[in-house]
Amino acid sequence: MNYMPGTASLIQDIDKKHLVLLRDGRTLIGYLRSIDQFANLVLHQTVERIHVGKKYGDIPRGIFVVRGENVVLLGEIDLERESDTPLQQVSIEEILEEQRVEQQAKQESEKLKAQALKERGLSVPRADTLDEY
Amino acid sequence: ILEEYLLVEDAPLLEEMAEEDEELDLYNEMTFGLDRDSTEEDTAKLLMPPEVSPELAEAVAEETEAMEEPRPEAAEELEEPQEEGEMELEVDQIGSELEEEEEELRTEEQEEDQEPCEEPNELGDPAVMKAVQSKPTLESQDSAVLDSRIDACWAEFDKEDMLAMDPAVWGSSPGSIPLHHVLEDKAILQVLERPPPSPNVALDFLGSPVQRGYGGSPRLKCPDLRLMSPKSFPQRFLRQTAGYGSPAPFRPVSPSMSSRPQSLAMHFGPMSSSLEPAHFFSPSASGQLNLSTPSHMTQLHPRHQRILTQRQAQSISSKKLWSPKVDPYSGLMTSKEKDWVIKVEMIQLQSENMDDDYYYQTYYHRLEHKQAEEELLGGRNKQEPPKLVTPFIQKVETYDSVVRIAGSLGQVAVSTCYSPRRAIDAVHHALVEEATGSHRLRALHRIEKLFMQLLEVEEMQRKVSLAPEEQQQQQQPCCQEQKSQEVDSIYQALKVRTCSSEEEAEDEFLQVLCVRKGKKLMARLLPHLTQEQAEKILLTITHHLPFLMKKDMCWDGAVAMMCQTVSDPFSPLCPAQSLPLLYSPLNEVVGRMTFSKLIKVLQEMTRPLSEFPELPLTMALKNQFGISLLYSLLSHGERLLSSDAPLEPRRGDFETWTDTVFLVARELSQVPKASLVEPLFLPSNLLSLFCRYLDKQTIHHLEAKME
Repeated sequence: MNYMPGTASLIQDIDKKHLVLLRDGRTLIGYLRSIDQFANLVLHQTVERIHVGKKYGDIPRGIFVVRGENVVLLGEIDLERESDTPLQQVSIEEILEEQRVEQQAKQESEKLKAQALKERGLSVPRADTLDEY
Repeated sequence: ILEEYLLVEDAPLLEEMAEEDEELDLYNEMTFGLDRDSTEEDTAKLLMPPEVSPELAEAVAEETEAMEEPRPEAAEELEEPQEEGEMELEVDQIGSELEEEEEELRTEEQEEDQEPCEEPNELGDPAVMKAVQSKPTLESQDSAVLDSRIDACWAEFDKEDMLAMDPAVWGSSPGSIPLHHVLEDKAILQVLERPPPSPNVALDFLGSPVQRGYGGSPRLKCPDLRLMSPKSFPQRFLRQTAGYGSPAPFRPVSPSMSSRPQSLAMHFGPMSSSLEPAHFFSPSASGQLNLSTPSHMTQLHPRHQRILTQRQAQSISSKKLWSPKVDPYSGLMTSKEKDWVIKVEMIQLQSENMDDDYYYQTYYHRLEHKQAEEELLGGRNKQEPPKLVTPFIQKVETYDSVVRIAGSLGQVAVSTCYSPRRAIDAVHHALVEEATGSHRLRALHRIEKLFMQLLEVEEMQRKVSLAPEEQQQQQQPCCQEQKSQEVDSIYQALKVRTCSSEEEAEDEFLQVLCVRKGKKLMARLLPHLTQEQAEKILLTITHHLPFLMKKDMCWDGAVAMMCQTVSDPFSPLCPAQSLPLLYSPLNEVVGRMTFSKLIKVLQEMTRPLSEFPELPLTMALKNQFGISLLYSLLSHGERLLSSDAPLEPRRGDFETWTDTVFLVARELSQVPKASLVEPLFLPSNLLSLFCRYLDKQTIHHLEAKME
């Protein structure tokens, strides 16, 4: 509940632990310390969490200043239920390895797809020629 | 460190700790405060920056020499505030190490940050270890990776440190064990008994995150700041980041305790004279969320006010429950700053323009409507929707773009928030990209411009419709005039015309239509156009229908259109078609056409083409939009014929009509069912149309086809 109904503000979220999803796909978890009118964020004791399958790994990152336009979404983390997750935490090395493997697999499947389309005389659109935005 | 002492809810223990707090505060202040005697040498030992200024170095050297006796003790004492409860264990070991360092210091003026060295197997601070091991450069090591390594060591440290660190554990066990030991230490006691030094007010502001935990005296252990020149800060900062990483990030207490003073410095960056004490010093003792009442609270509607205070109370009480640990970094954003952000947000809500905050405006419109309805239904007194009283800010519409001072040459370089610099009147000479760029980009550019105009038209219309009755009637004529002018200009800009097949690719209107957004633009524009304009567009579209159908792909696959498989719109390989966007508005247009006009359009569909073997109408049967449009035209014709209204046909119209119907029937029967596409809408009067002209057998055949 907001004392400014019809609006949304991050003021109430200050000093609380948040999960922030960035446009580049990164997931950050940190304490929201400061905001401004552009929803630029200052995250404290930030951890970058990498998810691969059912595993995840945390990389401590310190303080993050995030430009507002790069945020996809963010939400408060319930500290009591934070550990209540079916996901398994693993070491950083392990998760980075898993990520690498996943990326590789994805790249290969993309390659196969492109190949298959090419054989049928179709082409995958290039990003700059798409008129959907 | 000391914040943790306050964490336990237990009152008596709390009191005890508070007392101890104060003593420790005292101690800290004396050690790290501005007592020149005992502290400078310690700080010099620990915090000597590499770029120490000559006079400072001298002063330090002096102190070091002068202070022979208290050194070992001071060394030990020095450890106390910097360790997290492991004081007594480390003191002895560190003392000796420090002495070694001291000697080093005396010999070399240029000294790295001397953190007390500890064996890795000691319960040492990993950040310390890190700093000592090497001089890590930020370039060589990713701080994140470093931190992860620290993590490993930290894990060990963690377990053993549990007793001291974890306040929950602390709560159960006699919490003052480490403190007890601390106080037993003679050296410490000695220091504690010394008279307190005079406070240095200037540095008070830096103490806030620490103080928030204490709720205690505003003493700061940042003598390093005093000693260091500002330029050495970045250096410090860099080196500190290497070791600073929080391995256990969500412990509110900073793990790198020995680097405390530096870490504090890090939080606040280089000392800046612009920092106001008021901003940083938060009076709240337990680090609660500082949801202070905004300064303009008085302007708030009482309901909002009530909600806010309720919420504050709620959050305060709920905070007590969920946070067993006090967050030493809370309140970084002061209430002033929060108010400011809220104010800015409120200002943003004040706007005549719907675009600025659509959701806010819509919310209130809906609320008002709902209340109006309720009022009507319930017959209650008119309820005022609680409106947010936003601070009224006069929006400056104009500004002096050119400031001339009498007697000066030309313009003065005046910077405002609207124009950072206006030293010269820069004229935009850039040419719009004409030669360069693909058709699509150019088309998109044009579409964008036209879209903006269209949006303005719609905005105008919406405003008029929202205005009260009387105003609407008054504004009607002039608004209509304005609107039609705008719409007309958009229409003109589109350059709607039919052209030859060779010119099709270059034709601007068709280019616009080839782009999905262009179709959307047309679809939105059509309702605003006059019937004549709309009919012209319909005619053009029908004339170029094969071209448009061919081009209707949201892919750049030129090869794709030639593939048979792709013509099936339901094939997974077929790119999405966007012509159907136009069906609905065009259908409306068709519905208003006269018979003659209709015939004209139908003629376009039946004329043979040079570049395609099939008739346009046959091709249309295989395209969703095409078949839908065809059916729509036929349906309208049938409607006109079966109605009593006078048709005013021109000579030859009826013949063309019957010919067309026969042609359609023929093509429909000839085209294999598999290639026939389901239309967006199947008009009900088509069969009756066919019945008029065709025999029963054919009709049944067609019926089956059209299913």
